[in-house]
Amino acid sequence: MPEAEKRKDEKLSFDVIVVGAGLAGGTAATICARNGLKVALIERGQNPGGKNYFGGTVYTHALEEIFPDFWSRTPPLERPATEAGYWFLSKTGLTRIMVDGGELDKKPSDAYIGMMAKFCGWWIAQAQSEGVFLIPKTLVVDFIRDGNGRIIGVQTDRPDGEIYAPVTIICEGVNNLLTQKAGLIDHDLQPETVALVVKQLISLPTETINARFGLPDAEHGMAVSVLGDISLGVTGLGFIYTCKDSVSLGVGVDLDQLDNHHIRPYDLMQNFLRHPQIAPLVAGGQMLEYGGHLIPEGGWSQMPKLYGDGVLVAGDAAAMVNALHWEGTNMATIAGKLAGEAAVEAHKRKDFSAETLKVYQQKLKDSFILKDLYQYRKFSHFLNTHHDFMDVYPNFLNDALGKFFTGFGKPKKQLYKGILESLTSRKPLLKAVGDIVSFGRTITGW
Amino acid sequence: MKSEKDIQETLKRKQIGESLPSVFVDDMLMSLKYYVDEEQAHLKIKSHEVCKTCSGHGCLYFCPVGVYTMAPDGKIQVSYQSCIECGSCRIRCEKDNIEWKNPRGGFGVAYKFG
Repeated sequence: MPEAEKRKDEKLSFDVIVVGAGLAGGTAATICARNGLKVALIERGQNPGGKNYFGGTVYTHALEEIFPDFWSRTPPLERPATEAGYWFLSKTGLTRIMVDGGELDKKPSDAYIGMMAKFCGWWIAQAQSEGVFLIPKTLVVDFIRDGNGRIIGVQTDRPDGEIYAPVTIICEGVNNLLTQKAGLIDHDLQPETVALVVKQLISLPTETINARFGLPDAEHGMAVSVLGDISLGVTGLGFIYTCKDSVSLGVGVDLDQLDNHHIRPYDLMQNFLRHPQIAPLVAGGQMLEYGGHLIPEGGWSQMPKLYGDGVLVAGDAAAMVNALHWEGTNMATIAGKLAGEAAVEAHKRKDFSAETLKVYQQKLKDSFILKDLYQYRKFSHFLNTHHDFMDVYPNFLNDALGKFFTGFGKPKKQLYKGILESLTSRKPLLKAVGDIVSFGRTITGW
Repeated sequence: MKSEKDIQETLKRKQIGESLPSVFVDDMLMSLKYYVDEEQAHLKIKSHEVCKTCSGHGCLYFCPVGVYTMAPDGKIQVSYQSCIECGSCRIRCEKDNIEWKNPRGGFGVAYKFG
């Protein structure tokens, strides 16, 4: 009987199934293949990366941990983030707190600005070179379970689309439909713990970007979080990343606030792009791409159970995001690696029960991922209950520094009184002190 | 029944939205590439009757690509073809009245840059 016909009657089976060819999925698949396992990496998009969208930066520590020869593989990155910090906008003013050089002046840099669709395409090509079998244009719709309810494969939307493996790693991204179907979480995402981010990529000549952002050349780049007069007092913030010959600008807002305030996300972004301090930076540019994505900012409180019988979950699907430190891509990458290692361990023991796969959780606990997510467990709630950090304080900061640097020929006692009043007119002093203490407690995790 | 204070509060909130510049969303969509599934819509309103009981119609606001619009007769229309699969409507529809699936394999938005 010819080979192909013989296979028709056999089940399509692998050692490991990974659902979703993003950073977490690509990494999990790479680790499994590197350890000799037969891996199917299933992607619903036309090509890997097509559904990926972010700000944003990728982190050298995570990339090098997976591919120590990372740099010789010519990754499609934009600029190193050699300058980073916060911009605080008032109605017309701007106060910048930026760090340039010093700790950020490293080669290679700690963080690189990139474009996620392009980067993921490349990341998955690296995975394929390790022997990962990519199955694109295929949507996983459900799991296949044995008589005891253990997950033993996936059902795809292809004809005869069952694929079997003793362990499945879910890296489906923020819309965690399969994580719910696997029974790892009993509720859907909550609107108040999810941010909707919209972004525009605007094309400009490299020299124009260098001149407008004060960058010496294309080997220097800027990563900025913008607070203040863009989110109009609703919880949210803006961001700017300089690419080689384009600039990525966007705004993120908590999902529940958009309709509460009758805000359309693209109108809010346009408001940001038209701010007198922002508009000149992108004037004359052409929009290359618009898009949007949810960020699971709930972190710890919104995490599913990370393992079950024959199943693991990593990346956005497991709410692995640190909103304050802009970390997400590195958590996805490292969690993917650890999930891959757990699957390899299970194959060694020939036991794919939750009891064995639990090793994944321990690995995450030993890494920065669960340590940080636990420490920042109250951050999402803090932002929801302290809108003043997005609005009142950035305005005060501009006002106070503006007064300080223009108080010429006036008695300075009066100047300081004016600065204090500009705070207390917005917020009672005690409450302001309370906010700062509360912020400190939130980020230290007390 | 809403109190006077609630009404004032609602009006104040709406002002934020109304103070923003208005963007023609189709201009944004020009930059996007889609593989449109002509045979199956992956987004559906479960019941148009339920939409009639919704006071907020949040879907007209939060969708980043304006998939949801209201016809002159008040019916909510769904242009699933321009969906970028973010999931906002799945999570936020206050009536839980949207049947949300991922597009079939190979279909839907395809970011070039991301």
